Amino acid sequence: MSATHVQNAVRPLEVPLYQRKTVRIGLPILILLITCLSWEGLSRSGVVNPITLPPISAIAFAFFELLGKRFFWEAVIVTLQETMLGFVIGASVGLVIGAMTGTFPMFRVALFPFIVAFQNTPRVALAPVFLTWFGFGMTSKVVMAAVICFFPVVINTVAGLAAVDQNGRLLYKTLGASTRQTFFKFTLPSAAPITFAGIKTALTLALLGAIVAEFVGGSEGLGVLVKEFNFQLRVDMAFAVILVLASIGLILYGLIEIAERKIIFWVKK
Amino acid sequence: MLEKTDKADGSGLAISLENVDKIYPTATGSLEVFRSISLQIRSGEFISLVGPSGCGKSTILKIIAGLEPFNSGVVKVGGEEPRAGRRDIGFMFQQSVLMPWRTVRENVALPFEIAHDKSEKSKQRVLDLIDLVGLKNNLKLLPSELSGGMQQRVAFARTLALDPSILLLDEPFAALDEFKREFLNVEVAKIHDDLKKTSILVTHSIPEAVLMSDRVIALGAHPGRVLGDIAIDLPRPRTPDLIGTTKFQNAVKQIRDALAVTEVGAAA
Repeated sequence: MSATHVQNAVRPLEVPLYQRKTVRIGLPILILLITCLSWEGLSRSGVVNPITLPPISAIAFAFFELLGKRFFWEAVIVTLQETMLGFVIGASVGLVIGAMTGTFPMFRVALFPFIVAFQNTPRVALAPVFLTWFGFGMTSKVVMAAVICFFPVVINTVAGLAAVDQNGRLLYKTLGASTRQTFFKFTLPSAAPITFAGIKTALTLALLGAIVAEFVGGSEGLGVLVKEFNFQLRVDMAFAVILVLASIGLILYGLIEIAERKIIFWVKK
Repeated sequence: MLEKTDKADGSGLAISLENVDKIYPTATGSLEVFRSISLQIRSGEFISLVGPSGCGKSTILKIIAGLEPFNSGVVKVGGEEPRAGRRDIGFMFQQSVLMPWRTVRENVALPFEIAHDKSEKSKQRVLDLIDLVGLKNNLKLLPSELSGGMQQRVAFARTLALDPSILLLDEPFAALDEFKREFLNVEVAKIHDDLKKTSILVTHSIPEAVLMSDRVIALGAHPGRVLGDIAIDLPRPRTPDLIGTTKFQNAVKQIRDALAVTEVGAAA
């Protein structure tokens, strides 16, 4: 034991294994490789049915095949439109309602119980209803995406406004700031970091909402493609579409992270 | 250079409180913060309010600044009823209350921005003030890039921005360590000597109050009331060297005695 102590004393700056760059990059790659190889092996050896679980290589081929198809790109555009429209509408309405709820106590007293109740309802359950109300077209998907986006934005806007420093409010009062100046030069930017966290969550949820709504009933979009390929037992193709959805999700998240860094530049991570 | 202020009203009395009562409504009834407080502060005078938590010393500052209502009595600030948003009052908080998205320069410029003052003169004044608090090389830094002491300097520069004739300082350096605190206190005392602003400092520290003030008001708690009004007969400029002198120690003792009376009185 004493030998260990001496060694620690001599090399106090040793980096833990998991913090080393080689480990941080190498380990996930290793796990990916093991997963892919065992998947490929299981499927090719016939341990599992290659129709229900096609080999990774087949999924890769399907993916590149998909990239050359016109119907695929049309589906991408439809789903992206539904997601973005739903996000913009849901987040905007959420911001306005959240700002009013967080600013005016009467609004909060009147609305907050309903917001909390809805927040704890699995909102995707509304998808069939929206289908009945708005039909098989894009509208029902946009509405679903918007509704699912709305809540995290409202909740976080209210939380952001509640966390605003009371001394800051007093400072603006001593400086003779108007209500408008206080809101735009103080309250809004003060609430922005927490509000933005809600907006980030909302974007991820918007894609989810659009896909679920497409599953429930639709004729175009990536969700529809996943469902149809599955019906045709083209599981390789279904997986390829899921891969595309994962990429879209990642890209959207990356974009909103960049926006976040630009908008709330003063928050250091 | 920053010019001296000359906004003293004719009577020489900048702020007066006559028999002011403050009672907070609470869930179970009411809390008497202080009873029948009377204070007179002359133009250009530096006074400190010292006392235990609960004596209402911060509340007095907020009443003068028009940030808090009071129940009875008469308060006059420059001959007027107190109201928030008077630009001849500068209020400084225990926390720096800087806007984290604004640079040092933008934070100090905030009062001008709110007053819609875009003049070249105000821009120059912002730079002069930042120079005054010793941060001219940090104009473009964000508050998160500054130490606690530097943040309070920026806050002090912002407090001086509109050249207020009255400074209300609510434990401005209480969150800092002893060394920074003494250093900044001496600087504030120096700036006070130059600019002759009517100043009220709220503090927990008796030596700090003595070092800074012309007069120290000792307050007792539950309910808050004036226990003593001690004139500090020390030469200006005030420097840390004074702390060792007999005069300084006597003043500290006088205030301690005034405050100690309550403990006995409250127990009896």
